[in-house]
Amino acid sequence: MDRLEILCFAGTYALALAVELSRVVLRGSLRWYVGVGLMLLGWLVQTAYLGNLAYTSGNALPVTPFESVMALSWVVALIGLYLAARWPKQVAVGFFTLPVVLGLIAGAAWFIPRGPVPAGWRDATAFWGTIHGVFLLAGAVCACLAFAAGLMYMAQMRMLKSKSIKKHGFSLPSLEQSERVNRGAVTAAFPLLTAGLLIGMLLSAVELNRGASHGVPWNDPKVLSALGMWLVFAVLLHARTRPSMRGRAVMKLTFAAFAFLVFTWVGVEALRLPSAHGPIREARAGGEP
Amino acid sequence: MRLFALGVDHRSAPAAIREALAFGDGRLDAGLDALRGSFPKSEFVVLSTCNRVEVYAGGPVEAAPDVETLSEFLADFHRLRRDAFAGHLVGYQDEAVVGHLFRVAASLESLVLGEGQILGQVREAYRSAVARKAAGPIFHSVFQNALRVGKLVREKTGMNQGKLSVASVAVDLAREVFDTFHDKTVLVIGAGKMGDLTLQHLKDLKPGRILVVNRNPERAQEVAERWSGEAVPFERLNQALIEADVVVSTTAAAEPIVEYDQYARIQRARRNRLALILDIAIPRDFDPRIGDLDQVTLYHVDDLRAQAEHNLSQRRKGVEPALRIIERETTACYTALRGQEDAGAILRQLGDQADQVRSRELDFLFQNLPDLSEADRAAIAHMASRLQNQFLHHPRAAVRSAAAEPAPADAPHPVLTAVRHLFGLAETPAPRPELKKTT
Repeated sequence: MDRLEILCFAGTYALALAVELSRVVLRGSLRWYVGVGLMLLGWLVQTAYLGNLAYTSGNALPVTPFESVMALSWVVALIGLYLAARWPKQVAVGFFTLPVVLGLIAGAAWFIPRGPVPAGWRDATAFWGTIHGVFLLAGAVCACLAFAAGLMYMAQMRMLKSKSIKKHGFSLPSLEQSERVNRGAVTAAFPLLTAGLLIGMLLSAVELNRGASHGVPWNDPKVLSALGMWLVFAVLLHARTRPSMRGRAVMKLTFAAFAFLVFTWVGVEALRLPSAHGPIREARAGGEP
Repeated sequence: MRLFALGVDHRSAPAAIREALAFGDGRLDAGLDALRGSFPKSEFVVLSTCNRVEVYAGGPVEAAPDVETLSEFLADFHRLRRDAFAGHLVGYQDEAVVGHLFRVAASLESLVLGEGQILGQVREAYRSAVARKAAGPIFHSVFQNALRVGKLVREKTGMNQGKLSVASVAVDLAREVFDTFHDKTVLVIGAGKMGDLTLQHLKDLKPGRILVVNRNPERAQEVAERWSGEAVPFERLNQALIEADVVVSTTAAAEPIVEYDQYARIQRARRNRLALILDIAIPRDFDPRIGDLDQVTLYHVDDLRAQAEHNLSQRRKGVEPALRIIERETTACYTALRGQEDAGAILRQLGDQADQVRSRELDFLFQNLPDLSEADRAAIAHMASRLQNQFLHHPRAAVRSAAAEPAPADAPHPVLTAVRHLFGLAETPAPRPELKKTT
């Protein structure tokens, strides 16, 4: 039933993506309205789904990784909608944001276990755990935005370098615009991720000192992957001061950061790597369907 | 009803004739007033652009001007000899007028296929005619439809998409690299005609600074003054390249003036900022390998020309679908016009016939009742008039509503036929001419 609900909004996003892809063959503003309409519909259904999830779990903010990734895809879809409405109709925003949204939803639905958060974890970390999650979620939103902007930059640069004949009905933001969005997202992501990770590490250290079973060791794949992502963002931030680190080099680093993000939230679960990240370990032990 | 259009365009007349017949410099209003004065029962719209001067006329068949009278009017108004331009005139009649105007609005008749200006010019021509009370019900319908069809054709065929000149393609390219231009510097190297033209287009983007470099300092100064820029000595080319975001190069140098290693150093000095180089010179001014540098987009004139040619071929592909749309819309518009005319004739006939019957019956009644006072007679006449109007209210509403509905092109609306039949109205002799173009 849960996956069926997810399929409702994921399917609507997929239809919006199909309409977006048709821009290379179909002209007229109607296609744009249908595409944005479907995207909006998908987002509204997802909002209702997340609202219901929050109601049934009793948490206003996402607590588990599954809820976090779902919320992440929801925010990315909202940003995609905003950009689609703000930028000219010819700009293929959905072409880049919708696959990210669908990828996150698919990753969450298929690979991340769901289930109630263990009571002990909740009691111990109720407030700071949520703050940790919210910071990481906000940082992840920025990472997704930086990734989408990086994709747009690379696609636009590739088209310009190859001097391919420009097809009508399909255009991308200017290189400068993509670069600006990417830079802004990277700048915002770094402090958010730093704060989120620091809180997480402190929480874990406190739990380990208390001898609690749900403390996360330093060598946990999730922790290592998250630190890798943070490191890449630190390099990206540093790159702003180095002229040689602009353009494609920065975009490639952004892709690496996004890969770390996906690995942290989805990859570890998909590969079934041993992770002690509280809720997941408990949920798995509790018998995830 | 008779529709008529007469004029000259870029195909039929040289620029000198078009200029002589143009209604420019405030003469449009005077022209419309003069036309209205000469043909008070007709409607007029005058479309006067640099590529065409056309007078559209419409009205009752007996009062509408023809080729002779309109060309005489043009000769008198512009103080020209008629034979100086008569051979260049192109005329259209009835349905062909609608088709021609739709093609004009859709930019199929323009010098640059698919250009966007003409739709605005048609709108302006119509607005001017409305303002001078020269346009009436016929041209309200025809011109409003023309504006709609012009927009529809562009939307459905993409006729207006893609630029056709090298200079405007360059501007599109600049927009793909940069988002804002007020903080950008444009550098022009050389002072060729093509560079001038490209700069003219780039100027529309309102760049923050324009630098001009030329081996000839006087020439550089001259170009810089024309475009409100700064002249830079040729010896300071490297510094200018460091400052520039968009470079337009048009020198006549036999060898590249900027080598790969040189520009790689410049790009480092620029802190690897985005750069767009438009090398419009033949032979090239910039080493083509410069385009491989990160953050640098280098386009040669051939690349720009290829895009412009592709855009033109795309527009040409849109002509056939555009003509199909126009044919369909022309038929619909003209049929609706004829329907309105038929309906108007029926309404007039219906009113006249009812008036006759009422008058006859009132005369008969008043003859048989000679003692009726004037007040009684007036009251009875008033009642008869009210009865007539009430009886005719529904048939009239049905006729008006039928006129607004689509009907077969070769026959009147069935409701109009039925009303004629029911009320015994005679057919009005309205000719339905075929599509015509007269030269």
